[in-house]
Amino acid sequence: MDFLYNLLPHLLNGISLGLLFALVALGFMLIVGVMEVLNLAHGSLFALGAYVALLFMLPPGVLPFEFLQPYYALPLGWRLAVGTVAAPLVVGIAGMALELCLRRTYGKDPLYGLLLTFGAALVIEELIRVLWGSAEKPFPVPSAITGGLLIGDLIYSTYRFYASAFAIGVIALVWLFLERTPYGALIKAGAHDSEMVRALGVNLPRLRLLVFAFGSGLAAVAGVIMAPIWGVRPHVGVDAVVPAFIVIVLGGVGSFWGAVLASLLIGVAVGLTGAYASDWSLISMYLLLIAVVTFRARGLLGKKSILER
Amino acid sequence: MKAGPSVIARLRGWITEPMLIAFGVFGSVPFWISEVGLYPYLGVEVLLFCIFALGFNVLFGNTGLPSFGHGAFFGIGAYGMGLTQLHLVPNLWIGLLMATFVAAAFGAAVACFISHRRGIYFALMTIAFSQLFFFIASKWTSVTRGEDGLLNIRRLPADFGIVTFPLRSNAALYWFTFACFIVAVVLLWRLVNSPFGRVLQAIKQNEERVAFLGYDVWLYKWLSFVLSCAVAGFAGGIFAMGQGGAFVQVMSLQWSSVVVLMVLIGGGLVSFWGPVIGTVIYFIARDLLGAYTETWLLWFGLLFMAMVMFKPEGAAGLGANLSRRLMAVRVRAGTASVGAGGTGGM
Repeated sequence: MDFLYNLLPHLLNGISLGLLFALVALGFMLIVGVMEVLNLAHGSLFALGAYVALLFMLPPGVLPFEFLQPYYALPLGWRLAVGTVAAPLVVGIAGMALELCLRRTYGKDPLYGLLLTFGAALVIEELIRVLWGSAEKPFPVPSAITGGLLIGDLIYSTYRFYASAFAIGVIALVWLFLERTPYGALIKAGAHDSEMVRALGVNLPRLRLLVFAFGSGLAAVAGVIMAPIWGVRPHVGVDAVVPAFIVIVLGGVGSFWGAVLASLLIGVAVGLTGAYASDWSLISMYLLLIAVVTFRARGLLGKKSILER
Repeated sequence: MKAGPSVIARLRGWITEPMLIAFGVFGSVPFWISEVGLYPYLGVEVLLFCIFALGFNVLFGNTGLPSFGHGAFFGIGAYGMGLTQLHLVPNLWIGLLMATFVAAAFGAAVACFISHRRGIYFALMTIAFSQLFFFIASKWTSVTRGEDGLLNIRRLPADFGIVTFPLRSNAALYWFTFACFIVAVVLLWRLVNSPFGRVLQAIKQNEERVAFLGYDVWLYKWLSFVLSCAVAGFAGGIFAMGQGGAFVQVMSLQWSSVVVLMVLIGGGLVSFWGPVIGTVIYFIARDLLGAYTETWLLWFGLLFMAMVMFKPEGAAGLGANLSRRLMAVRVRAGTASVGAGGTGGM
């Protein structure tokens, strides 16, 4: 019992981490599930989201934008809210541009899509370096949601709880969107049988464009939410895309709840190993992945997909 | 008694004209590299990455298995070289042998887990394993010295029994790497064009059919993976000597992707020489573009995107297209002249 009591805080920590992983993986999952493209640029779009949000939170310090001074005098919470809404819009447009490039690889080996998005990841990361510099940037958070929280003997970051709650909200909204709206039905139908959907008169290219924009926008939202936790630097994208792909492979391509379940599993695994051997905590997710995928080729809840070809 | 022609024919199976051209070009590098404002050490890096990329292409271009984790085996080779030298025996040959062997052994273990896969899932599993090795290497500080890197790896002399060459200067190391490059190119060329290599290429085209023909596809994929890991480890061993240390960064995902980038941009999917061309393009871009702009990777990334979109066969594919078009022009010119000559030839 004592042992369980000691374990509980780490379990809690792991679950909150898992929810954040799910948030990070959500956009990636949508794009791989519907378009069967592994978007390696997901991490860079994630980073771009954080930088764009930063633009709405701190004065960029460029003369032509001096006149915006009154805006930056607004309370920090408002600016954070504006940034959280604006970043996905801006990054969604970048995602659309990427999808237009991707069109040339449709119908070919899925490897080409992977390679193209890999190139895009490189380009976006370098672009961030050009525009904002390589140094890590501070990401201000309203003092109401920062600070520590004492549960048992462990101190938690308050922000992480808000972030986890936000993650639950976003996951629920995306699920409702996919399951309870006609657009969601179209998206799922497009993933299931794109030829039939096109035959029914749906503008499939536009659908794919919007799905890609939606997925990129979700990446940006995750980027903004994770910015105070992981920091804002050009290279943060790699830290985001790797857990995202682990979540997808572990959960199974094309499965919404598989991805959520996998995120929670990974979060708990990292949280528990972090309690006993914090240096090795990140390895646990790779070991978990290898162990599961060795026995279940399609992940926990995966369906057959074109990517296996 | 078969004589003359068969010897030459047999030799041509081992050594081809493009090989001689490549050897000629790389053999002349030490004489002009300083003149054009570059430095001799660059030559060493280009050559050892050529070896790395050529080995990688056995797996990627020939067998059609995309690995995004070969940097890990390159790094394991570097550590193998360093640890052998520092803790076992300071001998060049044993060090290189260990670098190759250890990387191959790790590769063999990984290949057991992934040889039944293909395509994207194969790529994802290689990423997972390479990240695993990357984290172990960066955290196991008592052996690998973690983020600081395993330092003080010496360039041991190449001992041939009767003569011993010191490799301490960059020029000497270049010639040594050049010799390794020649051996690697000839052996890999032979391998790719052997019955074994043909089976690999058949697996790339259609795995099921190859299985129906009675080949053990799993074993061939396994061998292909292990072989490419061994070559990566060998190149990593030379890299450790060149750098004077083994560093964990080379095992990261970015470095693994760099070799994919090189092979693809050079045209490894269609040509044996793609990896070599790609490596040269990459280093030229890095050093020439890098001299003018800090953001050379941005332009390189855009070039890479354009390549995937418009010409996935890479530089070698571009060259092949060009020569085919030239040929067509020449043929057309030929028929035209025949036409002008009328029926004279009849």
